[in-house]
Amino acid sequence: MPDLIEDILGLAPDSPLGRLRRQRPEALRHAEGAYRELLLPADPGGLSLAERAALARHVAEREGEAALAAHFAGLAPSPTPSPRLDALLAYAEKTAMAPESTSKADIDGLVALGLTSRDIVAATQLIAFVPYQVRLLAGLRALMQEKAA
Amino acid sequence: MSRFTLKPVGWRPRLAPVKAETATPEQLAALEACPPAQRRSTYFLTLAHDPGSLGERGALFNIVMYAEGGLDRADRELSTAVVSMVNGCVFCTSVHAKRFVELTGEEPAMQRLLDEGWAAEPDPRRKAMADFTEALTCDPGAVTAQHLAPLRAAGLDDLEILDLIHSVAMFANANRLMLTLGDPLLPRGV
Repeated sequence: MPDLIEDILGLAPDSPLGRLRRQRPEALRHAEGAYRELLLPADPGGLSLAERAALARHVAEREGEAALAAHFAGLAPSPTPSPRLDALLAYAEKTAMAPESTSKADIDGLVALGLTSRDIVAATQLIAFVPYQVRLLAGLRALMQEKAA
Repeated sequence: MSRFTLKPVGWRPRLAPVKAETATPEQLAALEACPPAQRRSTYFLTLAHDPGSLGERGALFNIVMYAEGGLDRADRELSTAVVSMVNGCVFCTSVHAKRFVELTGEEPAMQRLLDEGWAAEPDPRRKAMADFTEALTCDPGAVTAQHLAPLRAAGLDDLEILDLIHSVAMFANANRLMLTLGDPLLPRGV
């Protein structure tokens, strides 16, 4: 079964850390599942696959996770610049980097651009999921470093 | 006193939530994957607008917080309360601080943490977990094996550390959802 986190880390499933992760098989399965539902959904609704990849890439870059950002960049062509894309990226920036600074006006702004409730929740889930991946990668790298010492 | 509290904090969504009575089969199935106590909460009904992500993310949350063995449940609650304080999520802090108290009976210890933070936390194991939690929350790219040394000194094994990493990561996610999709409703006097 593919695992984005292990692809990025170059971690073998049968390595000591790979085996440790498999003591929590559902955590692997559902982290991969959430990634696929958010970045590669069969029915993306009103939030295109290109927009999804661009939002995830922005958050990964801002969190300093270059390998993850490069992965997202390879998922879809960059979306055409537009006021809508600018608003989505601004929302990603606030949600990822300063979530306490968001307000109802940010959500209302997305509604005014024609995004549905589903699109807004999907965008928010996506933007908020990349910080999960970033911290999981960082924690696992520390464990890899410890094992290699 | 800080703004963090053990008192119940409400949450008002910024988008109208899905109504349980009119939810689609797909939305209901996704809600079933979430922790039983929260399936009909305003928060999960708001997330149900996008059932695909709710189902996977709810199942992930469930296993991170409730998987058997590994890190003690109370330690997961401690860690998620600390993440929520760092991120400024008063709602999540109150929920998980309260669960810590329910599991341990140690209300004074949690109240001190809420009021004063963990710089002077007297319990070395909790201090090590809180410091690691803060580091991984604030600057994940700077975390190295050196940050694990205090956890090892406090006796945490590999699975406990993995569970701690999962808890910290989960609340990087949970706090962002809660802070962006709604507003906390604070009790009087906080």
